[in-house]
Amino acid sequence: MFFRVILAEIRKSLKQYFFSSRTMVWALLLPLGNGLYLYFLYLPFAVKSVNLEFNSANFSLDLVGFTLIGQLLYSFFTMMLLAGSALDVERQQGTLETVLLSPANRLAVLLGGALANALNYIWLLIGILLSWVAFLNVNILINDLLALLASISLSYLSLIAIGMCLEALSLHSRRGGMYGTTLQEPIMFLSGLIFPLQSMPRALLPLSYLLPLTFGLISVRLTLLAGASMVDVAIPLAVLASMAVIFFTLATWMIGHAERSAKAKATLTQF
Amino acid sequence: MKPTSLAVEAQQLCRDYVSTKREHLLGKKTMTVIRALDHVDFEIREGELFGLLGPNGAGKTTTVKILCTLLEPTSGHAFVKGYDVVKNAGQVRKIVNMVAGGERMLYYRLTGRENLKYFAELYDVPKREVNARVDRLLELVGLSERADDEVEKYSKGMRQRLQICRGLINDPEVIFLDEPTLGLDVNIAKDIRKFIREKIVAEQGKTVLLTTHYMYEAEEMCERIGFLSKGKLVAVGRPEELKRKMPSGFSIEILVTRLTDEAHEGLKHLKPVKKVITTDYEGETEGEKIDRLIINVDSDKAVPEVLNYMSSRHCRVVSVNLRGPTLEDLFIFYTGEA
Repeated sequence: MFFRVILAEIRKSLKQYFFSSRTMVWALLLPLGNGLYLYFLYLPFAVKSVNLEFNSANFSLDLVGFTLIGQLLYSFFTMMLLAGSALDVERQQGTLETVLLSPANRLAVLLGGALANALNYIWLLIGILLSWVAFLNVNILINDLLALLASISLSYLSLIAIGMCLEALSLHSRRGGMYGTTLQEPIMFLSGLIFPLQSMPRALLPLSYLLPLTFGLISVRLTLLAGASMVDVAIPLAVLASMAVIFFTLATWMIGHAERSAKAKATLTQF
Repeated sequence: MKPTSLAVEAQQLCRDYVSTKREHLLGKKTMTVIRALDHVDFEIREGELFGLLGPNGAGKTTTVKILCTLLEPTSGHAFVKGYDVVKNAGQVRKIVNMVAGGERMLYYRLTGRENLKYFAELYDVPKREVNARVDRLLELVGLSERADDEVEKYSKGMRQRLQICRGLINDPEVIFLDEPTLGLDVNIAKDIRKFIREKIVAEQGKTVLLTTHYMYEAEEMCERIGFLSKGKLVAVGRPEELKRKMPSGFSIEILVTRLTDEAHEGLKHLKPVKKVITTDYEGETEGEKIDRLIINVDSDKAVPEVLNYMSSRHCRVVSVNLRGPTLEDLFIFYTGEA
């Protein structure tokens, strides 16, 4: 039943929220604008590469690749923020009660909602790749394909888990969606999306290391642009895996707690 | 689970809503507690169509939401087929479903068929049965031809019929219908009432709890009814049983203008008059406001005496109607509300 609910949620969400020609055109065009913004941000400095220090090592990364990967993962993160407001949208359109009236596994409902956004991201991904790789020459250096795949999958998994936590949060509080949006800018800043972590004030680094996006950016950038191996990125991968487990567990607890609390406080339908 | 032959049981059910308010940003929080349900007790037998009547805000929807696990009671207990709605919520969800009035609770960009299939998956309807069940339900409510159109293209009545299909998708043993004909035009509402009575209850033997504030709807459909007023269940029984409890079998409904407080008070002291209830009436004649009086009397011979009294007090009677008690009279009698 668990997987049936996930699939049903994915099918429903894709049709109800994403599948219109207008949405698809925008999903292709928006990353171009964002990407160009990041790229031109660097142009005045007339540099072609970015230094990334990690674990006492210093890597020189292609500037375009650096911003491209930042854009790829950040776009996925914003898709998860969007997933985070899925239950809030259900509440507003009056369908939340019908979902919670059913005996469907709540975790499957959350996962289905997050995965629908993840699938929709594929379209966004095409937009990003088309707009960047087709026009700009990125210096790619892959020595360990397995390390690259592990970096990408664990980054996405931990971000999906965060999306599920945000979904549960929006069931608990009608300000859940607002929290997600409010976090967007600080996370963009703290994760090292625009500039490398070593350029940030030291006092803020502990906050950066609480974010899966930070470790995702490090491991994907190093494995895709600097030829890093599994050993080189072992620490970020281990952290990403732990974060995925922690956030999945948190989402499971949060959705149960949020539903009980909403039923006790009668806030299921308030928006 | 406790062994029972009852479909639904509510025992001393209470529900409070708490709202907090601050006078200003840094001000002290004040808390207001509103009791929506106040020690409500009732039982519904298997296969019965039970009606819960009451005006807006009486506690009907709160009762339904507690029974289908969408809301927790503040105190008291409720059981569906012996399962506690709080402790065994998962079991209850498998055997109940709910249809509410209005146009929500459906996905508008999905077709009617896609909506039903989605809910069939949520209820884990056996895969091999899904298509046949969806087709049968669509056929039952006459939506087969529009099954593959998006719900946003449906009329209000079609959406409500699709909602009923959704409510039946898991073949529930108990179905809660919360004002299912709200906002529908007369003919569609009539069709839906007929469908509920004939198909859902008589043919499929489902237990139905219907909430409504339309008295004629309950009168037409329900075997037993309960009157909810300000969160309290003030009477439960068969309509004929409840009518017998009224002090008189007759009511005079009078539309009158120039009714003074003194005339109204004096009316209560006339010998054949048992009870006088004034209800709001939207209307006026020759620029004068009309009041509507329902006067409970002990015999039909009381009419001339009441009319003579009104005339002596310079009240102008617009219309008079003598009738046996309706459900509306019963409701007014038991609750004092109109």
